[in-house]
Amino acid sequence: MMIDAIAAEWLKFRSLRSNLYLLACSLAAVGACAGIAFMIGRGFDNQTPDERMAFTGNGDGLGNGIAVAYIVFAVLGALTITSEHGTRMIQTSLVAVPRRQVLLLAKVPSLAAIALVAGQVLAFAMHAASMAVLGDRAGRLLRDGTTLGTSLSEPGVLASVVAAGVSMAAVALIGLGVGAAVRSTAGALAVLAVIVVVLPVVAKTLPMPLRAQLGSFMVENLPLQIAGTGGGVLPPAVAAGLLAGYVAAALTAGATVIAPARRRLRVLAAGVAVAVLVPAAPAAATAAPDSGPSTLAWADCADRSLVKELRCASITVPVDWAKPAGRKIELTVGLLPATGAQRRIGTVFAVPGGPGSSGVADLSTSAGSFAELRARFDVVTVEPRNTIDKGVLSYDCLLSGPWITWPDTPAEYAELGRRNRAAAERCRAADPEFFDHMDSASVARDMEAIRVALGEERLSFLTNSYGGVPGIAYSRLFPERVRAMAIDGSASPYLDRAQSRLPHEESFARFADWCAASTTCALHGRDVGQVWRALVARADREPVPVRGESPPVAYSGLDIKEAAAPSIVSPGPEPEFPRWVELAEAIARADAGDASGFARYVRQITKSAKVPAFTGMNMTHCLDGHGFRDYAEYRAARRKGERLLPNLAGIELWHQLACVGWPVPATNPPAPLPGGKLPPYLGVGSWTDLQGSADIVRRVPGSATLQYQWHGHGLYNAGISCVIAHVNRYLISLRLPAPGATCPRPAT
Amino acid sequence: MRYGGKVAVDDLTFTVKPGLVTGFLGPNGAGKSTTMRAVLGLDPPSAGLALVNGRPYASIPRPMRSMGALLDAGAVHGGRTAYAHLAWLARSNGIGRARVAAVLDQVGLTDVAGQRIRGFSLGMRQRLGIGAALLGDPGVLMLDEPLNGLDPEGIRWLRDLLRSLAGEGRTVLLSSHLMNEMALSADHVIVIGRGRLIADTAMADLAGHFQGDVLVRTPHPERLAGLLRGHGATVAAQEDGALSVRELSAARIGELALAGGIALAELSPRSASLEEAFMRLTEHTTEYRTASGAAPASDTAPASGTQNERGSANERTAGRRSAAKEAGR
Repeated sequence: MMIDAIAAEWLKFRSLRSNLYLLACSLAAVGACAGIAFMIGRGFDNQTPDERMAFTGNGDGLGNGIAVAYIVFAVLGALTITSEHGTRMIQTSLVAVPRRQVLLLAKVPSLAAIALVAGQVLAFAMHAASMAVLGDRAGRLLRDGTTLGTSLSEPGVLASVVAAGVSMAAVALIGLGVGAAVRSTAGALAVLAVIVVVLPVVAKTLPMPLRAQLGSFMVENLPLQIAGTGGGVLPPAVAAGLLAGYVAAALTAGATVIAPARRRLRVLAAGVAVAVLVPAAPAAATAAPDSGPSTLAWADCADRSLVKELRCASITVPVDWAKPAGRKIELTVGLLPATGAQRRIGTVFAVPGGPGSSGVADLSTSAGSFAELRARFDVVTVEPRNTIDKGVLSYDCLLSGPWITWPDTPAEYAELGRRNRAAAERCRAADPEFFDHMDSASVARDMEAIRVALGEERLSFLTNSYGGVPGIAYSRLFPERVRAMAIDGSASPYLDRAQSRLPHEESFARFADWCAASTTCALHGRDVGQVWRALVARADREPVPVRGESPPVAYSGLDIKEAAAPSIVSPGPEPEFPRWVELAEAIARADAGDASGFARYVRQITKSAKVPAFTGMNMTHCLDGHGFRDYAEYRAARRKGERLLPNLAGIELWHQLACVGWPVPATNPPAPLPGGKLPPYLGVGSWTDLQGSADIVRRVPGSATLQYQWHGHGLYNAGISCVIAHVNRYLISLRLPAPGATCPRPAT
Repeated sequence: MRYGGKVAVDDLTFTVKPGLVTGFLGPNGAGKSTTMRAVLGLDPPSAGLALVNGRPYASIPRPMRSMGALLDAGAVHGGRTAYAHLAWLARSNGIGRARVAAVLDQVGLTDVAGQRIRGFSLGMRQRLGIGAALLGDPGVLMLDEPLNGLDPEGIRWLRDLLRSLAGEGRTVLLSSHLMNEMALSADHVIVIGRGRLIADTAMADLAGHFQGDVLVRTPHPERLAGLLRGHGATVAAQEDGALSVRELSAARIGELALAGGIALAELSPRSASLEEAFMRLTEHTTEYRTASGAAPASDTAPASGTQNERGSANERTAGRRSAAKEAGR
């Protein structure tokens, strides 16, 4: 009987030419997609590269036309029953099929089948139209980690297009249910327009996070959520259940109204049960599978200079992780909460550099860089135990340190060791136990304690500069807790020191080229390389005094190199390159016998006449195994450096030399990464600092690198859009840039 | 059976017999359509049963094979062709395509089978509706006002068709509000008024019960009326001064007038039409019954009015048994 009724409904549907015309109307949705994609493309072309990065992606391209498609399909569904009421044919139908629920439900298969096929055709046509109009621009990466358009080859896109087609069929069934409930075409149209068009528009006018929360429940946002590619905060299974639930609810309304009065309550009860259970089951099943409740008490940060959105909490950790029951210290944890615009993936741990920087202060400063990432993640950071202004050890002491020399004899080596040890002991005396546990492995264990407190199963990481070393330690200690790790501008503990400074030589060559080309260079017209090498060689034999400095100070060649290195690699904004201008003047003046050009700059930064080896950095460096085993190892390393680094030999050994004579043995020396247990990593860096990151990630199978083709350090925090885009894409979707991927230099 | 709180059909019980064409008569609003809708389960009665072959219509699998019904020839989608309309109906009751062609031929729509119904005249739509009723080759046919909109040729065709169907032993019930139409179409007649049964009788009997009168004009109506009454006549004065005389033949009236010395200006015997009989029945709601008719209970006068209140079926109370009809072969 049901089969007869279904077959009859199929004939009914097929025999009305108006249904075909209506389906043809749905092609307007393709037009809408193409039209808006055209406008997006035009807008995109007229923007600067950085503004383009800030575009909101067009996604699978269906979003702009899907409401049009929904209206057509909803009308199609509603008309299958309201046209029977309108023409009174319902009476004839009920004579032929007197069971009312049978009559209504018999309409479902043919409508669903036609709408499914038409929906798929339409969805793919809409996608194809959007992508065709965007053309090559579709592949352009945006800051939020998406591309301007997403092609079917990208993960989740095929699913989202298919889901969109399915949702159109669902809307047709919703139309049928509403039509049966309202019994008039005009009334059904009004109700459906509210559901499909008005409610989503209203939801968009609400403030966050209400907008995202309510928006997630709109039919038009369900396909992306089902595919897991955006659209809202619901997990895929819940979104799919909700779509089915809407259909069940609408059909229930229709079945209840059409039912004979005495059966209505029963129909309503059964339908409501289905409509509630279908979405509720996956919701219950997927409730918080990856994370438990956080035990951290988030509150306003005590430091009022931090950005307002930043939340702070404190966590207690043992000073010595080997004695978990021993003495405890408190660490401040910072949080930039997820915005709630999208379904939260988890937590990104922003690991600060230095060593000695506060992640909380850094995250506050660079909060803008994390704006897009926060659509999907909580961003958490920490003031690590080795933060120099932590207050346990003297800040001033940690911010000072010995001047480093380049020992030519074992005696000079020993002398350096004595100076280093004395400087270390000066700071250590305040709290030797704390001072002796400043290694990056302890920092990594602190991070693990934070993970546990957050209730997260796994963490994603973005390490900045020296943050790469605690990142490595965490990878070694807790590999199964790493979901992803982006390493931005880290030095590699595995890399040969001289090798690691080769990019500095390249930077020096650029500096020399600039000097040859620019009249603002004080050395313009001279052979910069020759002048420089002669200067540092002479200064190593006979240091260049700083005029006007009291007590008298003189710069050795190594001092000059160490003072110049930051300016060499970071010339400042082009075309002026202010720091190269300054550097050239300092070189010219030193060549004339006065090192005050360097000293003035160094004093601004370090409050010292020469660059000191900060104890606050050394206390971590030395425990992380930066020191030489003995004088012979130092000599071998120095020889290699002098061979590979014609202009800058010695700076590669600066931090190692600072650990000669260190009072505490290395507790976290470099050790291999458990590559097989780790997910692919992303190494990021500029001309001058990619090499270290690249050397780390090449030890993790499947990893990739991204080079910013310019100077710079800490690129993500600095807000380099292209780098942010690639890193976000990786952290969000675990997709890595293609081999050899680069980010272009900033536009001039 | 109530519509919007008004009783539309009240305690109506009758049986339609096979082998006969039964007319279902009553003025507009008498409850004919309501009764038929109740039979089809479209408007379920607030109390009582409407059964087809002893079971509710909605519980019959492939019901069009048991009973064919035409309620409203307009209840079609104008966008479909006649063929498509019959095709889906046939499919819904598991009836083969060959039957669709046969029925189209039977109702004379073969030539326009491929045309959209919206272009059809009322007569063509009636034929299509009759065709739909015939699709399942049912033993019972129930047609609501099937003669509406048919041209004289169409009316004759339908009468012949219905007679032949009844001749095959089928049960045929057709409704009308026009008695004259029915006089030629039906063998048996059921008359209802205000939702209640008035007559259930053979057509011939119905006419017989309403013999004619004699119209008499005379300058002395009072004298003549007295004279005729003296001889057992029923005399009613017409508005124009003429007399309507019953129980005496025209010839006897002439004789009596002559004997009484009363001049006659006109003496016309009038035969009673079925239409008049019907009008009189329904005007006065006389409880007329033949020996076989069912007796309505005396305490079941309609609560108010005889008009069906079209609207949502809002059945509230159902204090008494109503609308029960059995149609069986």
